[in-house]
Amino acid sequence: MKTVVYLDNAATTPVDPGVIEAMLECLGSSGDFANPSATGHEPGRRARARVEQARAEVAALVGATAEEVLWTSGATEADNLALFGAARFYRDRGRHIVTSRSEHPAVLDPCRRLEREGFDVSYLVPQPSGIVEPWQVEEALRPDTLLVSLMHVNNETGVRQDVGAVGRLCRERGVICHVDAAQSAGKLPLDFAGDCIDLLSLTAHKVHGPKGIGALCVRREPRLGLVPLVYGGGQERGLRSGTVPTHQVVGMGAAYRIAGERLVEDAARITGLRERLWQALARLPGTLLNGDPDRRAPGILSVSIEGIEGESLLAALSDLAVASGSACAAASGEPSYVLRALGRSDELAQSSLRLSLGRFTTAEEVDLAAGRVVEEVTRLRSIAPGWNGAGGD
Amino acid sequence: MEDPRYSAEVLRRLRELPGSKPLAPAGRMILGRAGSVRDGAEVEFEFALSDEQIAAGRFRAYGCPHLIAAASWLTERALGWQRQRLLDWDWREAAEALEVPPHKYGRLLVLQDALLDAAGNWAGVTRSTV
Repeated sequence: MKTVVYLDNAATTPVDPGVIEAMLECLGSSGDFANPSATGHEPGRRARARVEQARAEVAALVGATAEEVLWTSGATEADNLALFGAARFYRDRGRHIVTSRSEHPAVLDPCRRLEREGFDVSYLVPQPSGIVEPWQVEEALRPDTLLVSLMHVNNETGVRQDVGAVGRLCRERGVICHVDAAQSAGKLPLDFAGDCIDLLSLTAHKVHGPKGIGALCVRREPRLGLVPLVYGGGQERGLRSGTVPTHQVVGMGAAYRIAGERLVEDAARITGLRERLWQALARLPGTLLNGDPDRRAPGILSVSIEGIEGESLLAALSDLAVASGSACAAASGEPSYVLRALGRSDELAQSSLRLSLGRFTTAEEVDLAAGRVVEEVTRLRSIAPGWNGAGGD
Repeated sequence: MEDPRYSAEVLRRLRELPGSKPLAPAGRMILGRAGSVRDGAEVEFEFALSDEQIAAGRFRAYGCPHLIAAASWLTERALGWQRQRLLDWDWREAAEALEVPPHKYGRLLVLQDALLDAAGNWAGVTRSTV
């Protein structure tokens, strides 16, 4: 098996050894494998204790209380529960929702579904920097606005939104504020309570935890109502029925605890590596950074490279695990809608490359990746008709 | 693991780019061009003619791996062809040879258009513009 440099940490991350160790403690017959709802016996109570410890660890990282953390299967389910749950619970209060065009499909698809249920959704256009300014949200608010949903860090560009300003604005106006923090939890400081966020979507696998587990933080004071998506069993205060997967939950708790302990160190190191990568790629003429150069998450670098088609570059870089916004590489067959929302042309959206770094990325890997990208871009440009290296968007 | 979206031949041609080297100066050169970078697929063929046959060829291409591989394949296949063969060429030949998936067939039409352009230029162009 050939060695591949993994730079797709925005898609998912390898599980931290400390997380694996914690999860293994909950799998075998001598471990805490029992159903955490079966508190009538000792193994069940032990499992419950592990689940509640994990709940506290997740809450601590994001500035919530343990009681506000609700387990889900991941951020997609958390987004769905937040949007459908709040919209359906409060539908008599208002039918207007505000979000942005650069949100994840886990938000955009429920919004489109809610439109079919009679809701009116405003899709804000980000600035060319990728930032949705708080004044844009303010301008979009109406007397019947029920909910604002904005991601903290964009999964394609890494651009960071000022969710604190948006949260405070929403709180002043009595509007529910939902934030998808799938790409930011454990990488940037988060303050659920301090930023006046009412609903916060989280996942484990983007921060060196296991796949298949996430959480939705739901404001308790004052208590926010949600209509459940899943019924049967009444777990998670009746909002998310189904047996709580102890090992997954414990894995998420461990991942968030470790991320919290290493946040400052990891963020500084990964930001340095990202800059090193960008400086190396920026030497290529016609290479454009997608998104704001400063307001971004540590690990995500998105570039558009003129004179290159993204799918071919991706195929040529078979020794790198990276992502492209190319239409051909995407299941939808369309160029990245996120980059289009930032005002990039179809051509530049087609030529985009996302390289995302994580805790285990090394400087050697970054240098190797930069060298390979420069090599393949130069090679493919040599056969591109009309490529003159002029640059410019 | 190899990427199952591409045949081994597509990957080889993307890796080696046979048929992309600049041509040595020759007597008669024709150019055939179609597509645009804006549309995600652009191809340019340069053929050196001798005795009303293609004696040498070179391609340039912007597009997905299937398009680049097909342009490379076609550049080699075209050696010895006369003008009528360019007019008769059908994109399905490349689709079959390179196991191009149906959703990429549209890209191959760009190749066909480029050959038609080359056929149209067969009588007039006498120097390379590549």
